[in-house]
Amino acid sequence: MTELQQPLSQLQETSGPLLDAQKMQFWMDKAVAWDQVGSAQTLKDISRHLRGLTDFLQQVLTQISNTGSTAETMKELPCLGQILGRLCWNPYVTVGDTNRGLLLQCLLGLYSENPSNALERKANQWIRKVLCRLATEDDDPAAQILMKSTGVPPKEYHLRVLKKMVKQHQENIEKTCCSKKSIDQRCSCDVILTTSEVFVPLLDCPEASPVICSLLQRPGTSFTDALSEDFLDALNSTDLRLAVDETALVSVWYHSLPRLEEAVLDLLEFATSTGSAPQNLEQHISKTQLPKACAHHCSMFLVVNDIFRSILKQAEGNLAVHSVIQTFTRCFLKELEELQPRTAASLKAFFPQSPTSLLVPLLTLPSEMPQEAWKNHLEWLTASLQRLAEQEEEEEGDSQSSRLRERKACGEGHHNVFETWFLLVQCSHWVQVAGELLVTSEAEPCSNLLWLMTFYYHPTNRWHCRAALLEEAKEAWRHLRTLSSASVRPLPTDHLQPLITLLSLKPQRPSAPLLTLSLMVYCAIFCQLPHSQSVEIFQTVVHAAGLLHEAACVLNSLQHRLNEGSCSSRDTVHVRIKKLQSTVTHMQAGVNPHTPHNRRMGSGDGLSKESWKRSAQEKKRQLGASEPGSSNRRGLACLVSTRSQANFPACHHKWTI
Amino acid sequence: MEAVLKNVASAVELLAVAAHSDAVSQWDEQTLSRAFQWAGYCEHVYTRFHTNSAIRRVVEKQLQHTNATLRDAFADYNEVSFMDLPRCEHLLLRALLNNPQLPISTIRILFGLKNGTSRRYHYQEVTGLCSHLIQCKSACEVLCPFSGLSTVSAEAEVQGEMLMKRLGALLSQGSDPSQAEHFLHSSLPLCEGAARHSCLVITAALLTASDSAGQTSSQSFLLDWLQKEHGVLQHMGSTLPSAVLKDLAGAHRKFRDAYFGTLKKWASEMEYSLSDGEWVPACTAAAPALSFPKMVEHFSDLFDACPSLRRNAEDELLHLKILDGDFDARGLSVWGDILSEVKK
Repeated sequence: MTELQQPLSQLQETSGPLLDAQKMQFWMDKAVAWDQVGSAQTLKDISRHLRGLTDFLQQVLTQISNTGSTAETMKELPCLGQILGRLCWNPYVTVGDTNRGLLLQCLLGLYSENPSNALERKANQWIRKVLCRLATEDDDPAAQILMKSTGVPPKEYHLRVLKKMVKQHQENIEKTCCSKKSIDQRCSCDVILTTSEVFVPLLDCPEASPVICSLLQRPGTSFTDALSEDFLDALNSTDLRLAVDETALVSVWYHSLPRLEEAVLDLLEFATSTGSAPQNLEQHISKTQLPKACAHHCSMFLVVNDIFRSILKQAEGNLAVHSVIQTFTRCFLKELEELQPRTAASLKAFFPQSPTSLLVPLLTLPSEMPQEAWKNHLEWLTASLQRLAEQEEEEEGDSQSSRLRERKACGEGHHNVFETWFLLVQCSHWVQVAGELLVTSEAEPCSNLLWLMTFYYHPTNRWHCRAALLEEAKEAWRHLRTLSSASVRPLPTDHLQPLITLLSLKPQRPSAPLLTLSLMVYCAIFCQLPHSQSVEIFQTVVHAAGLLHEAACVLNSLQHRLNEGSCSSRDTVHVRIKKLQSTVTHMQAGVNPHTPHNRRMGSGDGLSKESWKRSAQEKKRQLGASEPGSSNRRGLACLVSTRSQANFPACHHKWTI
Repeated sequence: MEAVLKNVASAVELLAVAAHSDAVSQWDEQTLSRAFQWAGYCEHVYTRFHTNSAIRRVVEKQLQHTNATLRDAFADYNEVSFMDLPRCEHLLLRALLNNPQLPISTIRILFGLKNGTSRRYHYQEVTGLCSHLIQCKSACEVLCPFSGLSTVSAEAEVQGEMLMKRLGALLSQGSDPSQAEHFLHSSLPLCEGAARHSCLVITAALLTASDSAGQTSSQSFLLDWLQKEHGVLQHMGSTLPSAVLKDLAGAHRKFRDAYFGTLKKWASEMEYSLSDGEWVPACTAAAPALSFPKMVEHFSDLFDACPSLRRNAEDELLHLKILDGDFDARGLSVWGDILSEVKK
């Protein structure tokens, strides 16, 4: 469907306030001033106003569509004809896809199929004439003579000239930049600056992408950026039509914070909006190039994590988000491994806010240590986490604590526990191992493993509920243990009822349905029961509780982790997981998404791009970073540290007392 | 061949219909697309046969015949020649857009934006045809002021390529060289305003490195033509910057010699003006002409660019000075004065 056939409703949604005489006069003056194109000043002015022009044309188009007749539109917007007429002949306006498209739509919108008066007939004639001239006229008579005598059509000619011009610019950039040997030395920045100024209107012209990619990919540091401010601003807001290859994409993100945010949010939207948890999540994430980009640029990784933190706070209990974060971190670590040996110091740069003592232990993958060592490792981890959590809670309780006051003054508050928990989410593989050991180990005392899992699903100790939640977890565990060792077959369904009750949310008391669910999944996979029986139990319980989506998430995450390992004993596990996955898929297919059976846990609303953008803009206002270009000038690293200290909007109420 | 001729005839008729008939008001997207496919067919015919003079003659004959018929049918019919065939799409578009009967819905298709990921413009795809065209033209205009990045502008370079390609095709047909000369004459006008442009195109054509035997022979032909056409050389000498002339002289021996000849001709047309105390072009001299200092500069530049020329040239100038009487005083022999200036 071409843009011209966009549904009217979509256009109406974007209508801003009605165009008033002042605005019309403003754009009339601009159109006249821009006619005298030639000076660098005019070019700068045009570049600065391209985005505003888009909005204006959008409003004009909406008004044209809403108003019935052209005669009326012309009355409401008196100098419209003149403005459009002048803009049509301004190459800086017509070169970009967006503005050209809107301009043409406006003209075509003003055409009356059944003209009812002289004005409309005249308008029709004028529109036809303008369109014809725009497409077929050439005001270079000498070139025309040559085209005729050599048999080259205008379309081919202009395309060839354009490609050659782009090539010349590119060669110019390469020539001036390669002459400098040292990367520290700023290369002939005049060339870069001028070229980037020239190419601002061409950001959404696909033929210009070689130069734009070259401009973005020059070696250099972000703080000595020679790219013009207008270029960077336009990079943030234009609908880029780059033929973007891998390295160019990374460069775009590097130079444009909003673009990076957009890419991350797109990823989150993909992962959370598909009906079932995507099973090729790892592949998808790798394909986005985000992990690779983050491995090359620490600052990017910090920004991405910042976004993840914020999303986590807004969308508690959404297992899909957990999956994305975990998978992303895993992909990232793999890319990082290729670039540099993993040292504690290098890792610290990427995880500045995580507790140092826990960093390496958590980031180490289970496959990197012998299986026998897992239990001890987990015990140590759990003990450290418990200590940390209790310490912080003590300080919270002791409101006189000067340390607490100090920390609060810096805006840290629950900083440590949250950061620790965030790191745990990034390294969920240990939680999965805990679940596995719970089921497979013979020894009974496993309260610390249960504590870890409880902490993972319920990190805050709001209203000191952790003890209660732990109790509930133990209860669930006891039920599951009974079920998996019961010798009566088939099981009477009332044996399953307590489990189903545990899986439902109870408003009065704190409940741990997700924890219970994941325990159940682990049981179904790792227990000694014949597989068909565990599947049956699983199916009944999950169906009754309606937690299909969450079950799928847990299964997929587990599968991802186990794909890493290569032990043959894993094969049976893989088979079990696959069977459970297909069961879930089957159940999902059979269930109507609107029935209460398929309720989804966790707030998915907070994940929409719009809400993030709104909250991001709010934050920017708080930080005073609303001037165009300033966020780029500060560089990504600066912005990240500022943002992480800012107060996030009220969504994260759980993290305040 | 019969089929080809028939198709070409149909395509030309289609063009006429597009331009003059109200049948276009019935055209839908598919018809439009098919029409452009016909235009593409004509372009294909040209590409296939333009080096084959025999087939070209046959096609031309068919075109004449079709033109005659259509002239009777439509009042202000524009004839289609063989050289119009490769530009059929453009002609079709122009015809349609100038036809008041073309429905607005069709115009919408032509000016629509191509949606989606495939930005590669497909041959004969009709949607967004005009929009893309406008974009290319605008982009060229936007980048034009900055095209002084290399010796020749991008436009001149492309035009030079076009010129050379067509010249090469004409020469390879083994046809009468006067045809090729006629082509050069018509493509490179020297009238007011056009002269500078033609010079730039020739420069671009000559400065492009030749990567094939065909191209070399085309350049050679062009240079021979230049030698005969003093007017062109004079324009080049007077309008092009000296650095460019140096490059040209350095790249092509023929040019160097021809240019030297032109400079000598200019010098020979100079008169000494007692009131100005300077050599000036005679009133009878053909325009454009150079001032004396300028001419000396040109001589110097030429010798700098071609050291091998210098010795012989200086000898030649000396000989001419001797013929003039071998006076050392200024104002008596243009050759002597040039020599003394150049030797400084």
